[in-house]
Amino acid sequence: MSTELIAWPRAPESSVPFVERLHGWVTTVDHKRLGLMYILYAMVFLLIGGIEALIMRIQLAVPHNNFVSPQVFNRLFTMHGTTMIFFVIMPLVFGFANYLVPLMIGARDMAFPRLNAFSFWLTAFGGILLYFSWLGANGLYGAGNAPDVGWFAYAPLTSRTFSVGHSTDYWTLSLLVSGFGSIGAAINIIATTLCLRSPGMTLGKMPLFAWLNLVMAGLVILAISPLSAAQIMLVIDRYLGGHFFDTQAGGSAVIWMHFFWVFGHPEVYVLVLPAFGIASEIIPVFSRKAIFGYPIMVAATVAIGFISMSVWAHHMFTVGMSSNANTFFVLSTMAIAVPTGIKIFNWLATMWGGKIEFKAPMLFCTAFLFQFLIAGLTGIMQGAAPFDWHLANSYFVIAHFHYVIVGGILFTFFAAFYYWFPKVTGRMYNETLAKLHFWLFFIGFHLTFDFMHIPGLLGMPRRIYTYEPGRGWETWNLIVTIGVVFQALGILVFIVNLLWSYFKGKTAGNDPWDAWTLEWSTSSPPPAYNFAVTPSVKSRRPLWDLKHPEDPDWRYE
Amino acid sequence: MVDSAKSAVSAPDKLQLPAPTAWPIVLAFGIALVFAGLVTSATVSVLGAILLITGAVGWFRDVLPHEAHETVPVLPDTAVIQTSRREVARLGVAPGVRRAWLPIEVYPVSAGIKGGLAGSVAMAALAMLYGQLTHGSIWYPINLLVAGFFPAAATTAQIAAFNLSALLIAIPIHLLTSLLVGSLYGVLLPMFPRRPILLGGLFAPILWSGLLFSTLNIINPVLNKRISWPWFVLSQVGFGIVAGIVVSYQARIRTWQNLPFAVRAGIEAPGLMTEKDQE
Repeated sequence: MSTELIAWPRAPESSVPFVERLHGWVTTVDHKRLGLMYILYAMVFLLIGGIEALIMRIQLAVPHNNFVSPQVFNRLFTMHGTTMIFFVIMPLVFGFANYLVPLMIGARDMAFPRLNAFSFWLTAFGGILLYFSWLGANGLYGAGNAPDVGWFAYAPLTSRTFSVGHSTDYWTLSLLVSGFGSIGAAINIIATTLCLRSPGMTLGKMPLFAWLNLVMAGLVILAISPLSAAQIMLVIDRYLGGHFFDTQAGGSAVIWMHFFWVFGHPEVYVLVLPAFGIASEIIPVFSRKAIFGYPIMVAATVAIGFISMSVWAHHMFTVGMSSNANTFFVLSTMAIAVPTGIKIFNWLATMWGGKIEFKAPMLFCTAFLFQFLIAGLTGIMQGAAPFDWHLANSYFVIAHFHYVIVGGILFTFFAAFYYWFPKVTGRMYNETLAKLHFWLFFIGFHLTFDFMHIPGLLGMPRRIYTYEPGRGWETWNLIVTIGVVFQALGILVFIVNLLWSYFKGKTAGNDPWDAWTLEWSTSSPPPAYNFAVTPSVKSRRPLWDLKHPEDPDWRYE
Repeated sequence: MVDSAKSAVSAPDKLQLPAPTAWPIVLAFGIALVFAGLVTSATVSVLGAILLITGAVGWFRDVLPHEAHETVPVLPDTAVIQTSRREVARLGVAPGVRRAWLPIEVYPVSAGIKGGLAGSVAMAALAMLYGQLTHGSIWYPINLLVAGFFPAAATTAQIAAFNLSALLIAIPIHLLTSLLVGSLYGVLLPMFPRRPILLGGLFAPILWSGLLFSTLNIINPVLNKRISWPWFVLSQVGFGIVAGIVVSYQARIRTWQNLPFAVRAGIEAPGLMTEKDQE
């Protein structure tokens, strides 16, 4: 089809009929709209996954509770884990990358706009397919509906013998579909950052957020591919009589573990690297200083990318690997703490001596720094194989993992919401509500996940439906559940703030934070084409150069 | 910087962007239905396959032989890039230098070695004073340092007696540790230039003592059982103050990290900095 010329009747959005607006969103290939759709989609699933967590915590608040049945409890922890990883944090990652990377590097769109839309819709349909299992998987009497094999679905639980009906198939197929979407999105991010940077923006001048998303995208391709391969093998096992994971027929259950964790551990870095990118943008702006040690930050990111591909079997110390394998994975796990530690030192050095403004984005980033440090330290503890033998599959692991995902990643994404909200909507959020959100969520987080370590140390295994009184677990579990209520209130305030500010917030202007990256040089919200004239840059802080022509950064970089 | 020629390069009246299209959602829905059919009904997969083929063909027609575009008018750009903070505060560590890569100066390695050696003498003196005052023997703390080589049931008299082997082992342990800690002082002190004695004489010894307090039972159980922590902290502080003073009196050398790589590599590149500044 030849180039089609269409007039651009951009009437005010509210005056366009609803159906036409809906059509505009469904058929869009604009990276900003797709980014927003990823984020909204993630928010919906955040609520769903959060409700699942709340139900589980009510069940575990007191011993011998019967709030839900054991079968439902199994489905809840499976769906909660799968939802939060694949349909909350991953879409958040891709949503922010989609919206921000082209703006930050001075591009008009992603490299492959149609692939971008295709990737989003695959992810979206994957999530819908997973949740359709509550209705559609109940095909056999007594076979159950939603998946109940845990988010890492170890064999032989997933074999037809132990998982009759289609619940496991829904889990497999939905992740397969959304995995294709993730790979498409990753290819797009790589092509965009490598090929569409504005003139003058060498890789050494690219914003750290874009750098971290570039490495993240590379990891997605390396990590999702083996997961997809394993899912296909599982489908073959379940439908075509294959025996990949059937130990009795010559297969290997341990192979599934390797396939899953060679995805699973890099996946943690897929999720956390963009969070690092967010912190690397917000901390300098609110400290009024350039990021400390940019080249080392980039080098540490790339190092994390490489090392993260060699640590997966620290999830398998209790499987019974050889001592050589155990030693290798202990050492590689310890090694990855080094570049991560460098980053924490550099963020602290950025804050050191700065003129820090504790607005909501900075509050969340500061909390992230300390929480992620603790998460890293408990990670190192479990990275030592003998320690892991004691704590594997206990609530200590759950506490550590949530410290990473919530205390590390979700906190920075909340920071990102507040930091870029003025750019996306053109309006300021309500600072008082944002701080209320921070403190509620901060208190709730620490009540829940600090105290969750203790029943783990006392021997409480993960995934248990209920427990006997008198083991010293009751008080801790009650505190953990109370913390979830605070977190839920925090989320409620967050949503109210976003909605209220979207309709009633003060006009933000183009650059409310006096920031330095390119997205703040265009209007808020940005026009469809982002930049009428492609900007050319000469330093890592192009807007600083414009604002301070007497002392531009490019003289020193 | 964003090219200040932004306004000089006139913005076009309109721009071409990729046209919206429904084919990606159709193709994605088709793929999802193909898989969904495996767990529902074959007809769902058939419908998915139809949508998949339709979506793929539609997509091809959308981009071949030329991509479909839409033309959008360019809105007047009213964005003004300016800061509300014209005043820029600068760290006062390098007068006359607008930007500085910290640290500007460091101590040479030899400063740390000298500090470590001087500190080791001060610490040894304090430790021997402790031995003399409490057990009547200057050898007591020396033997305690290598108490891991003694039987756990060794008596106080045995530990207080002169032992040549213990002395020969204790001296390198003491010297090596002192040199390492002294070198660390040499690295750390420029980072805290305002109060070197506070860092070297108080903070570092207390942190070091705390670390040893929590681990000594594993490293040297005999020493852990017999150690006098007040005297231990006192001798650590003695080490810290002496090492800190000696290090801080050494001449500093400028770091090269703010110089171009060519200069650091020893390549003659006259005018390199000047050209950059004049740009």
